[in-house]
Amino acid sequence: MTVQDGAAPVTAADRLAAFAAALDACHERAVPGGVVVSRTGWAVASVRRLGDGDPVPDGSGTLAARHGPRASDEEALGAFREALLELHRRTLRDVLDAAVSRLDRRESEGAPLLGRQLVRGAVADVALALAQARDVLRLPRPTADRHHRVHRELVAAGRTALKLYGAFGFTAEGPGALLHLTELLGDTYLCPEDPEAEAGHE
Amino acid sequence: MSERLPERAVLLRDHVREAATGLRDAGMEIDRDPTAIDRLLHLPAVALMRGCTVPVEYLSSPLRVGPYTYDMGSCLEHTLTIEELSYGDAGFMLACPGPLMSGVAVGALGDDKQRHAYYQRLAGPEPTWTFFGLTEPGKGSAAAELETTLTPDGDGFRLDGAKRYVGNAAFAQLGVVFCRRAPGPLGIEAVLVDTADPGFRAEPIPTVGLRGARISAITLDGVRVERERILGYDTLKPSRRGLVGAIRTLQRFRPVLAGTALGLTRAVLDHVRAERPALAGAARRRLDGLQDLLDAARWHNYAVASAIDAGEVRADRVAGVKTRAAELAERATLAAAELLGPAALLRDPWLHKAYRDARAFEFMEGTGHIQRLAVFQGVAKGTFLR
Repeated sequence: MTVQDGAAPVTAADRLAAFAAALDACHERAVPGGVVVSRTGWAVASVRRLGDGDPVPDGSGTLAARHGPRASDEEALGAFREALLELHRRTLRDVLDAAVSRLDRRESEGAPLLGRQLVRGAVADVALALAQARDVLRLPRPTADRHHRVHRELVAAGRTALKLYGAFGFTAEGPGALLHLTELLGDTYLCPEDPEAEAGHE
Repeated sequence: MSERLPERAVLLRDHVREAATGLRDAGMEIDRDPTAIDRLLHLPAVALMRGCTVPVEYLSSPLRVGPYTYDMGSCLEHTLTIEELSYGDAGFMLACPGPLMSGVAVGALGDDKQRHAYYQRLAGPEPTWTFFGLTEPGKGSAAAELETTLTPDGDGFRLDGAKRYVGNAAFAQLGVVFCRRAPGPLGIEAVLVDTADPGFRAEPIPTVGLRGARISAITLDGVRVERERILGYDTLKPSRRGLVGAIRTLQRFRPVLAGTALGLTRAVLDHVRAERPALAGAARRRLDGLQDLLDAARWHNYAVASAIDAGEVRADRVAGVKTRAAELAERATLAAAELLGPAALLRDPWLHKAYRDARAFEFMEGTGHIQRLAVFQGVAKGTFLR
């Protein structure tokens, strides 16, 4: 039986604000002073950077989205995809590190949950996926397909990481909200234009 | 990927790649009959395996490529060699005579006299097969818990117990056996055993694949062990031999084993491309994705091996790269069977063999579950993703 519930070091609002600032830095890296628009015409950034956009549902008022006719050029899109995946990796790593700290404090049957082999295996699985994503992103000649595959693997690892939090991972206060935003951004900027062509993927 | 390797490593890799050409037929033969290696000892790949990790001063004709001489004492060069030979055929490579893991153990623990005798024998004119006896029926590869005993007997010792899942043991002349001389972690020893000694018995264990590894079960029934056969007994403190030697050998060898899995994976992906050159759409992207994972894992494996050469043995990263390589080999062979269409395993005997062989890596030198615990330790300490 669980006897202790750990407290996060910062509030959920702080984490979302930091994430929005990091997302804006990705835009800045690809389009200084502007925002990157996906191939299908969508842009997502902080409310401050994208003043005329609509609030992103579940973004707790920190992110906005806008749809327009013109996509960014390929160079900007490529740079943004890489920056976005780095942000996704960093976010997931923070979620994993926080899960390890949390599970070390939480006890079940008189022992830290972190001592359970199943828990340790899940932690290792997420870490292995993070290491693999890092190595794949370092390969030469990046492509949109590769970026999408890395995104998909990070999403799967993120879902594994969230299970380490139990129901807390489903609350807006927990890490699930942040990881949801990484999924939403990947869905916007990294998904292939023709989903039919993706059928049959592992 | 060449741009990330030093010149001498690239030259070695290209040389071994040439020697590995044509090993598929030999590998198929060994899959049907693991003793077929006896008829294939003339192949250049066998000479490479016989000399692998034997110091050059013991070899009548050490490997020279361009301006460089090699003994594969470097973990990176050993890894590259095994990866290329495994691209040719992993089962063939493992069936070859030579030091393999026992050589790493003798190199790490043996005193000058022991190393000299071992290398002289391995470099002799007759092919010598060796084994590395760690795993036990009741304890797996948990070196600290092993139960095989080394008991004082007159002016020497006697060895009693059982080992299981030991490559080549039923065909070897010489091997290293890990055993317990006293309770506790400092009571573990590594001894050199001659398989002709009374009390030593070994039998092959039939396996689903990788039959060239010739996995065996060993029974040790009062095998006589002279004091000078205990590795490092007179030169190393108990805290620096036995258990430490087992761990060091396993960690030094894991990138090499990862290279075996990655060589097989590369062969499988190339095979799919050769059989289905017009593969398009989602199938092509699936293949490209696996190629990315392979390239990334190879690069990472070389980095881990190079770090070991530099004296940085990071247990978490060693475990991580072994796990990734073993899982990728299985994933690639499963994908290959689907991409080549229905009944591919029946229509394509080589794929069927690779498909079976790939399953072995999960169990060799620590299962994925055990490796994950090492990765976890790295995450908890903050070292794994640094």
